[in-house]
Amino acid sequence: MSGLNFPITTNRLVLRPFERSDVPLVARYHTLPSVQRYLARPTRYAEDVAGAVEVMRNQIGLQRPGDVLTLAMQRKGDQAVLGHVSLKWSDATAGQGELLFCIDPAHAGNGFLTESLTAMLNLSFDHFRIHRIFVRCDGRNHHSAKLMQKLGMRLEAHYREHALFQGEWDEELHFAILDREWQASSKVRPLPLRERVA
Amino acid sequence: MGYYPHFPVSTQRLRLRQFTRGDVDAVFDYRGRADVALYLFDSALSRDECAQAVQQRIVHTNWAEEGDKIVLAVELSDSSRVIGEMSLIWRDVDARQAEIGWIFHPEYQGRGYATEAARAVINLGFYGGDIHRIFARCDARNSPSWRLMERLGMRREAHFREHARFKGGWDEEFIYAVLQREWQGENQP
Ligand SMILES: CC(C)(COP(=O)(O)OP(=O)(O)OC[C@H]1O[C@@H](n2cnc3c(N)ncnc32)[C@H](O)[C@@H]1OP(=O)(O)O)[C@@H](O)C(=O)NCCC(=O)NCCS
Repeated sequence: MSGLNFPITTNRLVLRPFERSDVPLVARYHTLPSVQRYLARPTRYAEDVAGAVEVMRNQIGLQRPGDVLTLAMQRKGDQAVLGHVSLKWSDATAGQGELLFCIDPAHAGNGFLTESLTAMLNLSFDHFRIHRIFVRCDGRNHHSAKLMQKLGMRLEAHYREHALFQGEWDEELHFAILDREWQASSKVRPLPLRERVA
Repeated sequence: MGYYPHFPVSTQRLRLRQFTRGDVDAVFDYRGRADVALYLFDSALSRDECAQAVQQRIVHTNWAEEGDKIVLAVELSDSSRVIGEMSLIWRDVDARQAEIGWIFHPEYQGRGYATEAARAVINLGFYGGDIHRIFARCDARNSPSWRLMERLGMRREAHFREHARFKGGWDEEFIYAVLQREWQGENQP
């Protein structure tokens, strides 16, 4: 899947691949304990950040199932790196993709993720022709859950104590949306909160 | 570590026991039917495939490592007639998770046998195998199966739509689960 042009711009952000020079910007938030859950691999120490950026820097396309595309969320104007959004092509035969994201808590709550994830949903459905996009989040993270519902995603699963995460029982939500349910290149539509499936 | 239960396990009307080589015809009786296979991963089995399946089931009687299955023949106590099978798979050793499954002969459905057998198997998982959470999955169209999950007091935790392909179409799936501390009352052994 080619023909993808970077950067992708939204209202207030530029979404672009990571660069080596991002390491100090990413280090600001990437080692915070509250952020670890949202990372592919924990980066608890400053010296882990360069490695994490190196991995993300190479996630620039989806050639085969399992591949990940990761883009830095950079604010226009002051050029601050606020976090990242990723699209993982999880299954080819059923056209499934997973969105993952991570934001510097200092910048959460300002709609930056809504903006970035909307762009990623457009990209997933319009460019990559994904059939269904899903997002997993911590059952206790009400901000994420609200964000998913705002994007029009449906709560499809609510697992309780189905796994251990860092030695504690985990609670996990799955949200999903099908290509036909997402209006191509739409702005974020305000939707009523959906009933929980479970 | 691991779990090596003793069989047979008896309930009011049923006996759950290991499969033996003599069970091939009884298994073919239900696994050979298209209506039984409708929502199963495999299509209807030939007699040879049933013989192979029984061969495998003979050793599926304990859990030594993650992914191991306990698969039991369910027979009527009175007649010793095999009417179906139950399975319990050790899905996650650290988080103590297991998946339960059931397949019964249509002629013996609608009498609560599956409920009775499932209760016994859930008891095995929780009290013998010290499992923390038991879950079950089924196609959303398989109402006898999810109604059984509800009868057992399991909670619907997932309703996936078009998350995978199944037999040439889009799959829609339910996942139900129950935690050990929620399993109680009339369900106690
Ligand atoms: C799923 C399956 C095991 C359910 O079997 P079942 O016979 O409906 O389940 P039970 O034995 O618990 O019987 C329950 C029915 O018997 C009735 N019943 C009669 N006596 C009963 C008793 N003593 N206790 C409980 N239920 C009783 C119930 O009211 C219920 O009837 P209803 O379906 O009309 O409400 C069976 O349909 C099957 O084998 N299907 C094919 C294989 C398959 O799809 N397996 C599952 C894959 S996920």
